[in-house]
Amino acid sequence: MSSITDNETDVDAVSSGSQPLLELSDLHTYFRTDSGTVKAVDGVSLTVEAGETVAIVGESGSGKTVTSEAITQLYKSPPAFVPDGSIRINGKEVTEMSDAELRQVRGGEVSHIFQNPQGALNPVYTIGWQIKEAINLHSDLTKEEVRERAVKLLTQVGIPEASSRLDDYPHEFSGGMKQRVLIAIALACEPDLLIADEPTTALDVTIQAQILQLLNRLQSERNMGMLFITHDLGVVAQIADRVAVMYSGKIMEQGPVETIFEEPAHPYTRALLDCLPGRGTIGGIPGDLPDPKSLPKGCRFADRCQHAVENCRAGDQPPMYQVRNDPQHTTSCVHFGPGMDPGTVLDSEVGDTDLTTDGGADSR
Amino acid sequence: MGEKTDQPETDGGTPQEDPTFEQVDWASIDSGETPRRKKEYVWFGIVSAWLIGVVYDVYSQHIAGTGAAEFPVVGIISPVDWLWSITLLVFVYYGLVPLAENRRMTRYYWKEFRKNKAAVISGLFLTVIFAVGVIGSRVLPAPERTPGLENQPPVWGSVEDYVTGNDCPGGTTVVDGVTMCQGSWAHPLGTTSSGEDILRASIYGMEVSMQVGLIATLLSITLAAAVGLTAAYYGGLVDEVLMRYVDIQITFPTFFLFLLLAYTVGGSLFVLILIFGLFGWGSSARIMRAEALQRREEPYIQAAKNAGASSFWTVRRHLLPNISNSLITAASLTIPSIILAEAAIAFLGLGDLTVASWGRIISGGRDQLRTAWWIATIPGVFLFFTILAFNFLGDALRDALDPRHGGSGE
Repeated sequence: MSSITDNETDVDAVSSGSQPLLELSDLHTYFRTDSGTVKAVDGVSLTVEAGETVAIVGESGSGKTVTSEAITQLYKSPPAFVPDGSIRINGKEVTEMSDAELRQVRGGEVSHIFQNPQGALNPVYTIGWQIKEAINLHSDLTKEEVRERAVKLLTQVGIPEASSRLDDYPHEFSGGMKQRVLIAIALACEPDLLIADEPTTALDVTIQAQILQLLNRLQSERNMGMLFITHDLGVVAQIADRVAVMYSGKIMEQGPVETIFEEPAHPYTRALLDCLPGRGTIGGIPGDLPDPKSLPKGCRFADRCQHAVENCRAGDQPPMYQVRNDPQHTTSCVHFGPGMDPGTVLDSEVGDTDLTTDGGADSR
Repeated sequence: MGEKTDQPETDGGTPQEDPTFEQVDWASIDSGETPRRKKEYVWFGIVSAWLIGVVYDVYSQHIAGTGAAEFPVVGIISPVDWLWSITLLVFVYYGLVPLAENRRMTRYYWKEFRKNKAAVISGLFLTVIFAVGVIGSRVLPAPERTPGLENQPPVWGSVEDYVTGNDCPGGTTVVDGVTMCQGSWAHPLGTTSSGEDILRASIYGMEVSMQVGLIATLLSITLAAAVGLTAAYYGGLVDEVLMRYVDIQITFPTFFLFLLLAYTVGGSLFVLILIFGLFGWGSSARIMRAEALQRREEPYIQAAKNAGASSFWTVRRHLLPNISNSLITAASLTIPSIILAEAAIAFLGLGDLTVASWGRIISGGRDQLRTAWWIATIPGVFLFFTILAFNFLGDALRDALDPRHGGSGE
């Protein structure tokens, strides 16, 4: 198993170049509904470099999936629309692309792995057909080359006797095997960016670890960028280089994975860490996400925040302030603003942050 | 779709060039899939030839004004025969050829289908009706009105002499002082009140019923699938426009549309088939749209989009196969209803009087049920069992062919 240090050197090598692989800046994605506009993603800025894994964490409904779907415009439009912001993949603006250009990006440059492997394979076709479909959509290979590549892909994702299994139907595979097939399909055209939207949620824990190892290995072999969407902080610790914590359509905190776990700055991140089994409160974070149709003034987390002060409920969501002296670590909390005392938050109690060490064989 | 997007179907290649793969597995796959490209070219050629033929026929009839085009070997091809030939070709290309190529699925389908005995019998019955109708109506002479041979009884029966015409080829017997005319093998199922042979008329009627049922259903199901799937896939305004059109179309019964045309341009069999095929698909489109709306939300549709598939590709390759359940249900409802509608129109005497339809013969015998029961009964029995068989068959096909039911072929 390759180590993360390899990845990090890759990151340095690439990020010294001009443009990031994926650059979201101030991305908004809204949905028009009969009862008002749902602001699912409301100003997200994020970059992913080649060879790097960025995890987006947050509770259900915080806009993680919509963010990931917006990147290749996978959502249904209407009702979804992007009122503001830009999405750049290898420097190309996605929001201005034609359908044909988008089809080239989808699968070719950016590929998704979905949460539910049971549903993402079409039951009426053999998995061989489906892998070959993905290859053929983006390349002009001969039949033999396509088949060879399909077998190679299946072997790479760890499916034994790949050539004979090409002719099997999805229902003849177990859940973990289906997820491996989906990964093979996602990698069929060697995308630069892999978006994994809770790829292990539907799998049991042992399979989950295998899939994460597989993704880690494939990523470092191919030097892909990976955007990993999850609500599971344990998974984040195993796979991510950087973490973005999302809440109610906004990023609350961003930083390298170690920093986030060792010195969580935003009260929301601290509350999330507190919810991990074996530490802090069992009851979770009191309260609910704000209604995405009528968002509150000020910080969106203020209503559920134990450190909320007067300032939190006025104006807009606070800008991303730097935490201490780490330029990579930023958070959207008034306590980190000029003239405020970060100690109010940082010195309060939070559960042990030794999570980064229990990630298993391939963790840092 | 261009050439490139057709490729996922094309698989295989020659196994000999690829010693690294297990020969056994690939041999079986390749045997089915290697000729695919060639097959597509052949199909393209056949359809082109058909189109050229139709265009030439239309040209010589309506533009050059030289009458129906004469083709070598087959001679004049009637409009209904044009449609009939393409229907059968489509049936072979999209039905029989894939079944012959994918033996494993065929075995599985057969295993599932065989469980339903009534359906197997129905299938056999319909095959016989189809074969006898298609071959018989080309080999046997057409039934003709024959003065003197009216109301002949079937071969096993006899009837009072005064009921029949002057001739009685089966001979007469005298029972209790009444002269009885005996049925004869010259007319095994008797004759109508105008002296037509009922067996031959029924055989000609078989082809008419099959033509009406299959051609109109193919037209209707194709349109319904196209409209239903497009509406469901795109949603929004497209859905609204298409489905409101369907609403309007459904309020105007095809039956009245046919009456309208029957009085204006004449109600030939061709017009009848077109009317039912082109305007009778509303409810089928609704059924298919309803299921497509569900399937559309399945993750594999999004996965196809994510892989870079075009909308047409997604609808054709991912949505359509997954609604085959509704498609077969819709087809198995459409076929019998169209056959019945044609029989009803012929019964009312509104159809083409030169066509040997079962409905017309039944209608001709309705006044003589007491004296010559066989005239209305025999085609009625054919009609009854044909409708019943199509219903049984549709039911079993839906169960056997549902791809989401499994299909492992073990």
